[in-house]
Amino acid sequence: MSLQHSLVKRPQHNGRLSMKFSNRGIRTVMANCYQLPPLRASRPMYLNPANRSEATVYLVETSGGLVAGDQNEFQIEIEDGADVCLIPQSATKIYPSFNGEWSSQKMDISIGSKASLAMKTEAVIPFVDAKFRGKTVIHMAQDATLLWGDILSPGRDKRGEVFQYSDVKTNFQVWMEEECLIYDPLLFTPDRTELDQVGVLEDHLYIGSMWFVAPTLEQIDIKALNEKLQQSAQMKVSASVLEGKAVNVRWLASDLVLLKKEMHNTWDEFARYMNKLA
Amino acid sequence: MNNQSVGSKSHSNTEGININPSYLHLIQIHDTAFPTGSFAHSFGMETYIQENVIRKEDDLREFCDMYLRQNLASTDAILVKEAYRLAKEQDKQGLIRLENICHAIKLSPETRKGSAMMGRQFLQTVHSLNDEELLTFWYEKLKNKEIKGHFPIVYGIYTALLGIDLKMSLETFLYSSITSLVQNAVRAIPLGQTSGVQTIFSLLPVIQETASHVMTLDLDDLDNNSVALEIASMKHEFLHSRLFIS
Repeated sequence: MSLQHSLVKRPQHNGRLSMKFSNRGIRTVMANCYQLPPLRASRPMYLNPANRSEATVYLVETSGGLVAGDQNEFQIEIEDGADVCLIPQSATKIYPSFNGEWSSQKMDISIGSKASLAMKTEAVIPFVDAKFRGKTVIHMAQDATLLWGDILSPGRDKRGEVFQYSDVKTNFQVWMEEECLIYDPLLFTPDRTELDQVGVLEDHLYIGSMWFVAPTLEQIDIKALNEKLQQSAQMKVSASVLEGKAVNVRWLASDLVLLKKEMHNTWDEFARYMNKLA
Repeated sequence: MNNQSVGSKSHSNTEGININPSYLHLIQIHDTAFPTGSFAHSFGMETYIQENVIRKEDDLREFCDMYLRQNLASTDAILVKEAYRLAKEQDKQGLIRLENICHAIKLSPETRKGSAMMGRQFLQTVHSLNDEELLTFWYEKLKNKEIKGHFPIVYGIYTALLGIDLKMSLETFLYSSITSLVQNAVRAIPLGQTSGVQTIFSLLPVIQETASHVMTLDLDDLDNNSVALEIASMKHEFLHSRLFIS
């Protein structure tokens, strides 16, 4: 440990947000909520005109971001028949690891039978020298529905801070009982990896990922979706169906505004499909 | 052997080989006549060929270098290593969980399918040559559709049962993956046979470096960083004409 590291002491902000959602007939309610700052949740709102029972909750991080060594934990339980939409209030900012410690964010989510979760797309932004581990594990019933979008940013690229972070390691998993449907780890150490190589990120900066898992995908025309996605010439993108149970859409882009617009359009398309299933 | 001495001058790639029956069988399972169906899979490379990104020998070499260091080293080779370890420990539940992860980490349907197709063909063939209990167990699981039969897992199990050294198993796995890819590229681009041979020869040190690197890794080091290749593989199923299944 360097002298600088040993001198700097800072209390860690280990946030915790634990929520349970239940189906109470006409609407989904937040049956339990435990929040430890800096993590907070808004009250449930009922904003979806196509599914009035769906509870929409904003996820708030009051400290503004994760600083070296901070650990945030989310535990979200969605009981049978409940419908939930979660909206991160802002991007997850990962500040420089001034003491060499990793910041982490862990999400454990369970989705019961005939229940659904829609997570709105937001970005993780690792600043210069940031060290971040993110892990999301979702256990869902065979007849549950999941819509999830996320973006991994190269840093604050408008300030020219591109791939100057130290390490970013994320792992997104979806399990249906004993079957692992999606296992998506990313591990970037820009100092040690030629990210612009053919096959890796090439000349792109942002990785967008969207997952849509539903009990039936029969009405999804994956070829038509791909043709629509290919209309944006500035991005590399494709969509595919996994095991007849999940749609995977992956983007590589250099323009965050354009990427977000495309991802929001695709998210809305899946959300409409989801509302038909509800 | 003249060829061996030339190779060893440059890469020392014949050091440590034990000439025993398992070694000869190891050569046999990598023979092009051994039925794995690898000639039918490009794992996304064909999209790059059709997009004119891979047109000549240098492009192919660069692509294969990436494929080794950024793709195989952080997915399949780690899975071979873990399967080898679990097979040595006779940890059947551990192998089933590993196969589950191997299936789920492949996020392009064609790559998922290609890996399972090759593994199934390989397992069906070696099962008739070897009556080890673990191999029979794995074969029964496949027959009962309880596993998909992914190639890295079967390969790790089989080389462990043969008593092949782990590092050599990794080197041969990487070698066979790259030779199949290069031979398929030679047909698809097309390139001359000599270009193919030269490409593979130039990659031998990279194969050895990659195997040494993988020896230091474990499941926690798995990653899907070759995102552009994954997208290319996903796009492959929508190409108008295709030589390969994946």
